[in-house]
Amino acid sequence: MMLFSVSVYAKTFTFIVPQKIGGGTSIWASIVAKELEPHLGKIKIKHIPGARDIPGFNKFHNGLLNDDYTVMVSHGGNGVAFLIENVDYDYREYASVGLMNLNILAAKRNDANGKIKFAGGSGMAPEGFAMALLLCGQMDDIDSYITCFKENVTWVRGMKGSERRLAFKRGELNATRENPAAYKKHVAGNNDASMWFHHGLLQPNGTHAEDPNHVGFMLETLYAQTYGEQPSGRMYDAYKLIKSFRDGIQKALWVRKDNPNKQKLIDALVKIQNSAKIEAKVGKYNWLIGEDGDNQIKTLLTLITHDSLSDMVRFSNIALGLKSKYKSNLVN
Amino acid sequence: MLTEIILGTLYGLAIGVMPAVGATTGLVVLYPFIDTFEPYAGVAFVMSAIAASTTGDSYTGVFLGIPGANSAATTMLDGFPLALKGEAARAISAAIASSTINGLFWGILTFTLLPFYTKLIMILGVPELWAFCILAFSCVVFISTKSWIRSGIALAIGIWLGLIGVNPDTNEPRYTFGWFYLQDGLQLIPVVAGLFAVPEMLDAFVKRDKTATKTNYRAQTLQGIKDWWDNKWLSFRGGFIGAFVGVLPGIGGAVADWMAYGVTVASNPDEEFGKGNIKGVIGPEGANNAQKATSMIPTVLFGIPGASFAAIAMALFAYLGFELGTIEIAEDGEFFRHMEYGFMGGTLFVAILCFILTPILARITAIKYIYYFPLLFAVVVWGSVQYTGGWEDYVILFLASILGLACKKWDFSRASLLIGFILAGRIEGLTVQMTSLYTSSDLASRWIFLLIMLVTISVIVLNLAKKFIYNSNKH
Repeated sequence: MMLFSVSVYAKTFTFIVPQKIGGGTSIWASIVAKELEPHLGKIKIKHIPGARDIPGFNKFHNGLLNDDYTVMVSHGGNGVAFLIENVDYDYREYASVGLMNLNILAAKRNDANGKIKFAGGSGMAPEGFAMALLLCGQMDDIDSYITCFKENVTWVRGMKGSERRLAFKRGELNATRENPAAYKKHVAGNNDASMWFHHGLLQPNGTHAEDPNHVGFMLETLYAQTYGEQPSGRMYDAYKLIKSFRDGIQKALWVRKDNPNKQKLIDALVKIQNSAKIEAKVGKYNWLIGEDGDNQIKTLLTLITHDSLSDMVRFSNIALGLKSKYKSNLVN
Repeated sequence: MLTEIILGTLYGLAIGVMPAVGATTGLVVLYPFIDTFEPYAGVAFVMSAIAASTTGDSYTGVFLGIPGANSAATTMLDGFPLALKGEAARAISAAIASSTINGLFWGILTFTLLPFYTKLIMILGVPELWAFCILAFSCVVFISTKSWIRSGIALAIGIWLGLIGVNPDTNEPRYTFGWFYLQDGLQLIPVVAGLFAVPEMLDAFVKRDKTATKTNYRAQTLQGIKDWWDNKWLSFRGGFIGAFVGVLPGIGGAVADWMAYGVTVASNPDEEFGKGNIKGVIGPEGANNAQKATSMIPTVLFGIPGASFAAIAMALFAYLGFELGTIEIAEDGEFFRHMEYGFMGGTLFVAILCFILTPILARITAIKYIYYFPLLFAVVVWGSVQYTGGWEDYVILFLASILGLACKKWDFSRASLLIGFILAGRIEGLTVQMTSLYTSSDLASRWIFLLIMLVTISVIVLNLAKKFIYNSNKH
């Protein structure tokens, strides 16, 4: 009877997802929550949708995190918004329960020639930087990259994910990008297309390493093959900054730093980290759990310098047509 | 599987008859529960719910003048006036017959002709989708009310409302007046509820004791079936239009219904519509279920949702462990069987249920409105505040209601406004994509695009000419 009453009155964890039901992060959170439930009890998913998935994270920062049973689920887009938009949330103020350091893969149609036609948007910004480096090589300054990018790439705006995929299949776009699971679904089986490049996996020292799932296509590898040297310079630093913040925290779970349930959550995550269901959804990528996740954030923050941030903002605004803001409070 | 199909049918019918809710919202509600089903059975449940809600969403439009879903607005145009004349059961019966026969027919064709559809999806590109949207706009502007100028203005207002949010190019807020909540855009349900549901409910509450006088509902039900038979080719044409539009990803049911309605009106130039013409019910209802069936084609084949309800269905299937658009799904015969039986079973069962229930449900039109107004109002408000549940949702519903009342009073087409709202983002995106990817000489070589534009121009010119001649004769 005592055990029954304990279980009846045990508090339920709530995972906050900053998007509408059915989004990619929503599905990911549901799968992860289901795997965690045998170790944590019932987990409720609460969706707080809003523009560019920012309000939900802001609400977590502005009060929800005070509840010891509330966990924030974020994705790579939140990372990019942290860099270039006025948001309330701040990764420096949270503890990482665990995060997935994923990769994004770019593909090109085998019949692609002439200008690259690529579906653009803020979520694709790292691909814009990568293409500028790959197509233009070493240039004097950011403005030269901007000019070269515009000459070589048609950055097609206004396309949603599903439209992009269909346009790529039809040949209206000759290049695209996907997360690993979507790449497997939409590109890998397509005889008309093959991998172009990927961004690699962020390492604790701030460099990127080859993706063991797609060896030989990391941008740095391809750049060296094409131009005979490793990429370097301010454009490369700006690229590293934006790709790291998007992909280095592609999917993440956060709590307040002094949350008493933090270790319980971490222990549960350790138990499920090799879950076949999660691997089926996102591919074979490792979790960075607990302190490893905190160290990842520290690594990311070291990439923010005045030059990398201002160059990133400039290229984003002029070449990619965004309205990014330079946030001086982020600069080390 | 039979249990799940019956349950799905009942659930789908329940969400279909709720005013302004629709299949999309009804499917979203399933998220916390869907994994209690055995996976394949869950597929059958979802598909039967989709089929049943599509048939059921005609009820409130006909009985109360409140569309059950945004795509049921066309049925309401002639269905509600029929109800006011005491012929609600006839209108519903004709709608069910048209919806069911086309749902069954296109349900079968969807699964047997899958490879053909793949080729069709690949041929129709950005310019063709853009042209379809323009054609849909033309149809609704010239058909929904007598005044095409007011319809055009309403369409423009709808497009403007649909653009509220964030500029997809720059991520900058657009038309939000500094209100952060609006950066995610206006949500569809409170807009539909405010435009249609609230004005009609208030109108009924203030002016009418009941919608219509009592009549012989059973005889009317049979008459509706006979009406469908007498106009079966009209129904099949609507079904063809719905099926065709359903295959086009992202276009959605409202476009299919409006095109079918437009063709119905155009093919009966000597008849009046919008005042209770049974053909105005049969034509668009043919499009309804057909579009739902074929929307699943790009969704299943490519993992690219054919419509918003299909996107939610796709996510539900993902929860059940089925990843659409993969080789594994394409080779999973049991998955396809459950999809097909779920959809066909739901279509058939809901039709039987509706034919039995219609003579009973139609009696609501003879009941004093005051008795069911509170419950109806509560359901509409509940459906409208599901986005965040905060005070902002209520404000949007209130503002949309003011707009709906103003449109009703001054005869601005709410249907035009709604389709402008629904397609605003789509037409903007397609315009940007088309101008980025194609030159005018590229467009001149695309014969399907040219054909659709020719039809659009014909719709505009012929209707303008008709109105000019009408006005000349009047004077």
